[in-house]
Amino acid sequence: MNTYYAANLLVYAGVDIIACLALNLQFGVSGIVNFSFIVFQAVGAYAAAVLSMPPDSANGGFQTYFGGFQMPFPIPWIGGAIAGGLLAVPVGFVVLRKLRADYQAIALLVLSIIANTVITNATHLFNGAAGLALVPPPFADQIDPNTPGYQYLYVGMTAVCVALVYFVVTRIVNSPYGRTLRAMREREIAASAIGKNPVALKMTIFVVGGVIAGLSGALLVGFIQLWAPSVWLYPETIILFAAVIVGGRGNNLGAVLGALLVPVGFEEVTRLMPTSLGPPGLIPAFEWVAIGLLILGFLWFRPQGVRPEPRNVFEGGPETDEVDRARAV
Amino acid sequence: MLAQSEGPMLAGRDVHRHFEGMRAVDGVSIEVPRGKITGLIGPNGAGKSTFLAVLAGTLPATSGTITFEGRDITRLATHQRARLGLVRTFQLPSEFGQLTVLENLLVAAPHHRGDSLFGALMGRGYWIADEKRLVEQARVLLRRFSMSAKESDYASTMSGGQKRLIEIMRALMLEPRCLLLDEPMSGVHPKVVDEIKYYLQTLRAEGLTILMVEHELHLVEELCDSVVVMAQGKVIGSGTMATLRRQPEIVDAYLVG
Repeated sequence: MNTYYAANLLVYAGVDIIACLALNLQFGVSGIVNFSFIVFQAVGAYAAAVLSMPPDSANGGFQTYFGGFQMPFPIPWIGGAIAGGLLAVPVGFVVLRKLRADYQAIALLVLSIIANTVITNATHLFNGAAGLALVPPPFADQIDPNTPGYQYLYVGMTAVCVALVYFVVTRIVNSPYGRTLRAMREREIAASAIGKNPVALKMTIFVVGGVIAGLSGALLVGFIQLWAPSVWLYPETIILFAAVIVGGRGNNLGAVLGALLVPVGFEEVTRLMPTSLGPPGLIPAFEWVAIGLLILGFLWFRPQGVRPEPRNVFEGGPETDEVDRARAV
Repeated sequence: MLAQSEGPMLAGRDVHRHFEGMRAVDGVSIEVPRGKITGLIGPNGAGKSTFLAVLAGTLPATSGTITFEGRDITRLATHQRARLGLVRTFQLPSEFGQLTVLENLLVAAPHHRGDSLFGALMGRGYWIADEKRLVEQARVLLRRFSMSAKESDYASTMSGGQKRLIEIMRALMLEPRCLLLDEPMSGVHPKVVDEIKYYLQTLRAEGLTILMVEHELHLVEELCDSVVVMAQGKVIGSGTMATLRRQPEIVDAYLVG
């Protein structure tokens, strides 16, 4: 296998895994239907891009954007993560406080569409529809990005981020705090009746998820070196939802599996299909049909996903085989 | 000055709750005495559940004041009232379905070091002592309510009566000072009704204050020390069941409602 192809596949897999872990924390564990998830990845990518790029007068000024701070690694990545978290504050403040959960989902979907339209048309912010190009990858001034060594390095840095994010979300999910989040997901009004503050819980998780999403965007833009409104259209969020549903809502390993099966798997399978099959655009169109069927099929036949949320059994309780026997009777 | 422990546990003064002009609770004043079970009865649509929700903070009051242990709590949110020890249950079962029975209890425990983002990120070593202590505390409750064998089952798989018990145990994990129960016996098998009745009597003996909405008058008669009758958003009488039964206007209102 070609090194560049393999690196490309692995970095995309890493980015999708990180995104799915964050979405699982928000949607799978806490019940926040964040239909604007991709916006948080996008803001991380834009922030990382303008933090690492030279001022827009460089390269003959063929693109316009604000900033251009030429900061060295890891500042763009950290900045991307912070930007994702910062965006979550006003969005969460408007959407999560007063609205009922189903309206929250609608509001977030609309926000995703508005954000994309604004960035497309406000050309001075991030160069409009054409997007940002020539985003310098990390260490580009020290190592030539077009070498196999650099590709391996990037895969390694991605792996470190995946491990770090997995560690953080696992600690949250497997803690008493994670239990509180699941209780809120199950029945918010009852959670507040036992002293939990749903608004504070949701805001916190919205920001944590925003930070992780922002990091995933920074990671991706450093690799593909360009970022435009066409890569973060709202359907991208739906693909991530499909991944979390297929993998198993509330299960971190399930989120990893879902990321590998849906966004990564679909890309690769369709790559292998002959393009002469029909009119151009037929296969991408079928991809969307397949994603839709996949979501419906799982919600219908296996709503808990490939890897369901684990049941927590505590030590010193009734013997489990005793319980199972009692259940079998 | 009156010592705080001598006044009522919970009091509402001229409490209103209107829904776009509809006066669901229309100037209700009530005092819930300490260590007693107070019944709240009345026909369907009398505003009992709405009033309970206003006392618990689930619904904000349109006007009026609510005091808990002498402290004005009218503007506090539900979770803040719960942390003070004023805990409600719901008319419909409100278990956390995808949590086990034991987890349903654990999640309600206040003061858990692992129950914050910081605590969670610090890792298991930071909160495991609290967790072990609370598992023991929850198991004592499970034994008391004869639910030990079910601790690892998902709450969603429990029967209606068992869900009621889970909800009461969950409320008790907060070590409440006052319980607001919204029809705790509705849809429950008669045998479990007797159990719940027994548990409520023991809780009263331990000094817990209870205000409960209930439709079954014979249960109210057996359990409640005093009763408040509501109709059309107002209090139309209060006292013991025996004295209320002698007032024809109350019998009429309740039966005709």
